Amino acid sequence: MNHTLSRYCVGLSMVLLCLLSGIQGVFALESLSKKQMQDLLVEIDERQRSVGDYKALAYIEQKQKGKSDLVYESVIYRRDKEGKLLIMFLKPKSEAGKGYLRLEDNLFLYDPSVGKWERRTDRENIGGTGSQRRDFDSSQYAKNYDPTYVKEDKLGKFEVHQIELNAKKGAEVAYPKLQVWIDGKTNSVLKVQEFALSGKLMRTSYYPKWSKVKNEEKGSEVYFPKEIRIFDEVEKGTSTTIVMQKVELEELPDNIFTKAWLESKSR
Amino acid sequence: MSQTQSSLRMISLIAMRNIMSNKVKSSIVASIMVFGTMLLVVGTALLDSVESSMQKVVTSSLTGQLQVYSSQGKDELALFGGLTASLPEIGEIEDFSRIKSSLEEVPNVQAVVPMGLTVSTGSSGNDIDEVLRQLRDAASNNDAQTVASLSGQVREIAGSLLEEYADKEKISNDLNRLDKERAALEEVQKDAFWQDFTQNSQERLLFLDTKIAPLANNGRRFFMRILGTDPQAFKQHFDRFEVVKGEMIPPGQRGVLISKRTHERFLKHRVARELDRIKREIELEGRSLEDDELLQARARRLSRQYRRVTFQLDPSEVAQLEPKLRDILGSEASAKDSIKELIQKFLHVDHSNFDARYDFFYAQVAPMIELYRVNVGDVVPLQSFTRRGYVKAVNVKIWGTFQFKGIEDSDLAGVVNISDLLTFRELYGKMTRAQRAELEALRDSIGVEDISRDSAEDDLFGGSDEIAIVEQDSQESFDEFQDVEVMAREDRIKQVENLTYSQQELEQGLALNAAVILEDPDDIQRTRALINQKIQQDDLKLKVVDWKEAAGLVGQLIVVIQIVLYVAIFIIFLVALVIINNSMVMATTERMAEVGTMRAIGAQRGFILVLFMLETLVLGLGAGFTGALLGVGIIEILGVWGIPAANEIVRFIFAGPRLYPHVSLSNVLIAAGVIFVVSLLSTLYPALIATRIQPVVAMRGRD
Repeated sequence: MNHTLSRYCVGLSMVLLCLLSGIQGVFALESLSKKQMQDLLVEIDERQRSVGDYKALAYIEQKQKGKSDLVYESVIYRRDKEGKLLIMFLKPKSEAGKGYLRLEDNLFLYDPSVGKWERRTDRENIGGTGSQRRDFDSSQYAKNYDPTYVKEDKLGKFEVHQIELNAKKGAEVAYPKLQVWIDGKTNSVLKVQEFALSGKLMRTSYYPKWSKVKNEEKGSEVYFPKEIRIFDEVEKGTSTTIVMQKVELEELPDNIFTKAWLESKSR
Repeated sequence: MSQTQSSLRMISLIAMRNIMSNKVKSSIVASIMVFGTMLLVVGTALLDSVESSMQKVVTSSLTGQLQVYSSQGKDELALFGGLTASLPEIGEIEDFSRIKSSLEEVPNVQAVVPMGLTVSTGSSGNDIDEVLRQLRDAASNNDAQTVASLSGQVREIAGSLLEEYADKEKISNDLNRLDKERAALEEVQKDAFWQDFTQNSQERLLFLDTKIAPLANNGRRFFMRILGTDPQAFKQHFDRFEVVKGEMIPPGQRGVLISKRTHERFLKHRVARELDRIKREIELEGRSLEDDELLQARARRLSRQYRRVTFQLDPSEVAQLEPKLRDILGSEASAKDSIKELIQKFLHVDHSNFDARYDFFYAQVAPMIELYRVNVGDVVPLQSFTRRGYVKAVNVKIWGTFQFKGIEDSDLAGVVNISDLLTFRELYGKMTRAQRAELEALRDSIGVEDISRDSAEDDLFGGSDEIAIVEQDSQESFDEFQDVEVMAREDRIKQVENLTYSQQELEQGLALNAAVILEDPDDIQRTRALINQKIQQDDLKLKVVDWKEAAGLVGQLIVVIQIVLYVAIFIIFLVALVIINNSMVMATTERMAEVGTMRAIGAQRGFILVLFMLETLVLGLGAGFTGALLGVGIIEILGVWGIPAANEIVRFIFAGPRLYPHVSLSNVLIAAGVIFVVSLLSTLYPALIATRIQPVVAMRGRD
């Protein structure tokens, strides 16, 4: 009897040990302290920051249930140190010349068919797709948000930190709350969910592919998401894909970040 | 003479004697019947007249007698607008030409006119955006004179914005931000900011764009419902349509005709519009600024709109206008008044000065300001929120303004603006074959794999164990403008003017609905059934509705009026029935002895029943005839005088400023029938009481 009981106890302990080691295997990551999270956000932002100018060729495609697709090719010009950004549509022909210019905290839209500039909010859907200005701009998590650790999680095969970000007081952000999933090995952002003030989930974005390019001036690489998959959580069935085809870090002429430059492209 | 005949003669004589001898009772019952009949004749005649005038106005302005649209749509068609501000999703007719050829084979169908409704919006930015645009142009052309002139306007606007800061500071809890904004506005007021403007134009314009312009109000946006159609067919089949200003869209040319109502009410300068409105209320509605408090309040609000004028004046215009304003204001103007105070005082209109100031405004001020946001002959960009949800801008030529005859004054008549179907398709977001091919090619060149929301995480992160961070060659460069054609804005506008289309292009493409014009416009329901048959037969996947259903809310209005009228008539007749019934019951009680005696000398129950019924019937016939005569008389008189329409909605329903009703035989026959039934019903119970009177009871009562 005693013998049977001891065998049973040993068996149970083995199972528990296996289970524990299994869990250990699932969550090999350790949770992060506030300081570690802040440092991680600074690192993410810093990796994506370009010291000099930045130029990218982006393909944007939106699919919406029951409707024909929206497809654009656009060029993105960035001068991160001055917070300047210009997105100009190149294709299709009917949209070529249309563009968004961000100067300080203002986002302007120019449509050569209209011939006038309009001020837009930071939640503007670029070209009517599910993409927004932030998807093309440099990352500014550390400046705008305070992190709170949620849990260690798994995303497909990846071990990730799930962190909640709440907007700092006075920060100019489109959404006050974000949930981000960061790859534990490479510190790459893999998933972001954006929430409105009411707590409603607005968008879920995935970053399955990352690229980097050497920035001589910076002395290190500039990271950029090669592909972004954005799912609209309000308009279910609507998704947008951004593919950054090429990135170049050559210096751009000063006048690119002016209204006059974009206007001149359709003169 | 047979016994029945002699009985009938006897009953008639007794009935007549009873009517004459109970004058009070008879006259009460008769007058109720007269009133009821008259009401019925007048009510039904008015309703018929309203329906027929509305039918005329609705069918001959927008709907035609019948409308067809896709049976796959989620919502119902509402050409004059429905319960919601957004457009109903009525589905699409992919190839209009197929519908047209098929439906034109149906007997009594004269024509099928294609249509499609979309909402467009235009924006002119705020006042400062417009000035900054001009400033940017002037700076890039090194035009110092224009820069100087525009700087005055910017300073003026900044000055006006500064004035609001004292109040803002009282209510704001972010004084730090207000201080920064105030400092920016003060910076623009300084001469130093403008002295070397042309040398530092980029930096200064950036400051104005980012620090000053956002402080002004949002830009003005206007909305226009655009009905795309075949303009020539529309003109031919909708005879209330007429061009007021400019010209008709020429055959094969693209463009828009704006409804006169939209042009005057929504696209005109706010101050001019308010002046027009006050004038209209004085002239059309007989109101006066002397004693009408509402009108006075409107006039007071007008003077607060002075900035809408001053912001648009450049210094040379100010110099020109100032002495003229001082002249018209006389002693009201003081020497130290600036243009701002002068305009403010000028817009303070009252009974004594309104006419003079109205004329002065149009003669002197209007030429210096943007009187209409859109002018006839302009090519303007219209933006529309396509069904895909994104803003699509299309340049369109404004050929003119139009109205629907007889309902010029009604807002409902101004619900749509007319464009050709090709312009509509572009605004609607329908891609041409070439555009679709271009997108396909672009998409194929990238080859993005489609993944679903539910399996996204597995699809994207379920493959490799590690995120690959691919290193791109830093030497790799690209020319983003290779194979890219950006059309010049001027070319886009020129292209609009030269765009033409063939009738085939117009017809072989998208429409959302179509008006069916009938040869015999009164034969609606039979033709509707025939069209339905044809739809089934040719598998057109359409539904057909009559003008009332197609009109939306306006069409439902007539049904509501009908219900209200019928309910009112029902209540009145119910009351009449009770009153008549009561009077007859009382009269029966009074006549118990008489009835008892008749029964005692051999009168059968049937005789008594017929006697009572006949009494009311005779009264009913007489009263019905008199009532009908009165009703017909009233309608005839109204038919000559006309009933004035009190407001815009009634003007629309009346199809003009007055309704001239007419009466038909059916109105009289319906009234006669109803009064006949009511008379009989109301007498049935008292007559039954009378038949039950026992002679012995009646005799005892006499004792």
